[in-house]
Amino acid sequence: MFRHTPFRYATLALLAALAVLYTLNAEYFGLELVAEIAVLAILVLALDMVAGFGGMVSLCHGALMGIGAYAYALLTTAGGLTAPVGMLGAIAITAAFAWVIGAICSRSHGIYFIMATLAMGQMAYSYVFEAPIFGGDDGLSGISRLDLSLIGLDLNDGRSFAFFCLVMLGLAYGFSALVLSSGLGRSLSGVMHSEQRMRALGACVWRVKADMFGVSGGIAGLAGVLAAQHVMFVSPGLLAWTVSGEALVVVILGGLGTLVGPLVGAVAFIMLKHEISDMTSYWHLVVGLILIAVVMSGANGIFGWIESQVERWRPRRAAMTDEEIRKREVLSDA
Amino acid sequence: MTPALLTAGPLALDASFWVLQGLNALQLSMLLFLLSVGLTVIFGLMHFVNLAHGSLYAMGAYVAASAAGLMGYWAGVLLAPLAVAAFGVLLYWGLIRRMRRSGPMAQVLVTFGLIFVMLDLTRIVWGDLALAAPMPELLSGRLTILGLEYPIYRLVIIVLGGLIYGGLYWVLSRTQIGAMIRAGVDNDAMASCLGINVEQLFFLVFCVGCALAGLAGAVAAPLLSVTPEMGLSILIPTLIVIVIGGLGSLKGAIAGSLIFGFVQTFGAVLAPQLASVLIYALLAAVLVIKPVGLFPARG
Repeated sequence: MFRHTPFRYATLALLAALAVLYTLNAEYFGLELVAEIAVLAILVLALDMVAGFGGMVSLCHGALMGIGAYAYALLTTAGGLTAPVGMLGAIAITAAFAWVIGAICSRSHGIYFIMATLAMGQMAYSYVFEAPIFGGDDGLSGISRLDLSLIGLDLNDGRSFAFFCLVMLGLAYGFSALVLSSGLGRSLSGVMHSEQRMRALGACVWRVKADMFGVSGGIAGLAGVLAAQHVMFVSPGLLAWTVSGEALVVVILGGLGTLVGPLVGAVAFIMLKHEISDMTSYWHLVVGLILIAVVMSGANGIFGWIESQVERWRPRRAAMTDEEIRKREVLSDA
Repeated sequence: MTPALLTAGPLALDASFWVLQGLNALQLSMLLFLLSVGLTVIFGLMHFVNLAHGSLYAMGAYVAASAAGLMGYWAGVLLAPLAVAAFGVLLYWGLIRRMRRSGPMAQVLVTFGLIFVMLDLTRIVWGDLALAAPMPELLSGRLTILGLEYPIYRLVIIVLGGLIYGGLYWVLSRTQIGAMIRAGVDNDAMASCLGINVEQLFFLVFCVGCALAGLAGAVAAPLLSVTPEMGLSILIPTLIVIVIGGLGSLKGAIAGSLIFGFVQTFGAVLAPQLASVLIYALLAAVLVIKPVGLFPARG
């Protein structure tokens, strides 16, 4: 079950302070980086909600993000809706898709769940690639950003947009934490520990899984909307399974089932990607090696490792053992 | 020699057209079978999920293309499975043996990392440009059967797939080692209690699986252009095949390959708009109705 520890609050405060300071002082490229990190962070939050707290390792979250982006693009261009309505509509559409996917896949477990979600994501990818209304390989352009001139902000300015993305990330984080500590989030933890026990207690297991997958999909949809607004262009590449794979890598690098860890992972991943791409064109090699090293070390990602080191110094060890048990169960159930 | 050349116009929808499509579907199925059989038996025996199987296929194609350039086609076809199996031995001792006890998710992630590493390693060794592999003189012509022209090379792939299926079927059902493998798939703890060295068996199966992936790459190389991404693009079809067929069984691998090959080929002819979605929809349907696949190794 998710809970905030003082260490987690401290990490969040540190991340927020760094983000604000960096965004205030960054140049054009830095601001692009902030927006990119915020979008990825929202996506991995969504993935961690289902993978880390429900054992549902999804390989369709990239596709869900793509659905959100395309839905926003179509609603605001062809649909003629205003940006705020388009944003809400896109999030609702993605959540609905995710709910259906979650309901269909809820019977599968472990590797079969991974494959089932992969199939769903690839289905969306191929459909978007082929259907004419989505513009095929060329994608869709002419997407506008949210108009916040009422409160004196111009989101076409890089710095304002970066701040806007950070605010959205903050909202998404707060919402995820709220959902995870609600009845739904607690039921999901129960389902991850033992579906049979939850069934005996009267919970409707598939509904719990589908509902949480829907919520997570809505958050992934938000990431998609922001991605579409960021580059003002959508292409089928957003839905490719490798995007979902990368999101999973970020969750693992940061720390599965910690909610804060994936944020750390997103920052580390994007920074690493840009630093390494500057030095060599073989950044996949480095990321692959890091991923192998992290998984084989047995630590729960960067944040998970630091957290366990910090907890070791604390007299009260109850929280840590709880975490340890959960982590082991995620790894063995998935 | 591209599939497009083999497809007659939409007006020529007569019997020979369908036979041609059937042969195309068979050829695709057999190629997928070579890849999926190794992956599925490795999974069935040791519950090990090796996402890097597609990268081994790409490696086989590269080795075959390079060796063919130096020593001729046949050297390439012989060398590729051996080289990939040797690489498999390294992988086994370096990574896989240590990952045996971790859960499927850790295995998926480590082998996902391995895909990245191997992708860039092939780019470093062979460069970004596509390689073309030569087709041997002997097999490059067309054969006329019953008034139908079909490239010999594609027929050879079909026959090769059939032979390998037959060989594996014979080994698994008629020999002692086959009985040991089946026992290991069925219940590995019980099999080791009965004195079977399951670990050694897995090593053997893993090497054979790698060699088959290398062979698949080598025979596919003259048909496709050899690029670093080819391993990634074949991975999804291979996974679909083994999940539809059911993990761990030879019967599942061949059934899944045939279903994929025919749905893909005939789907492209009959419903071009839906062709790419069709196979995923089928996979989703199989997973909903029979979550463990059509012919799983364990009931």
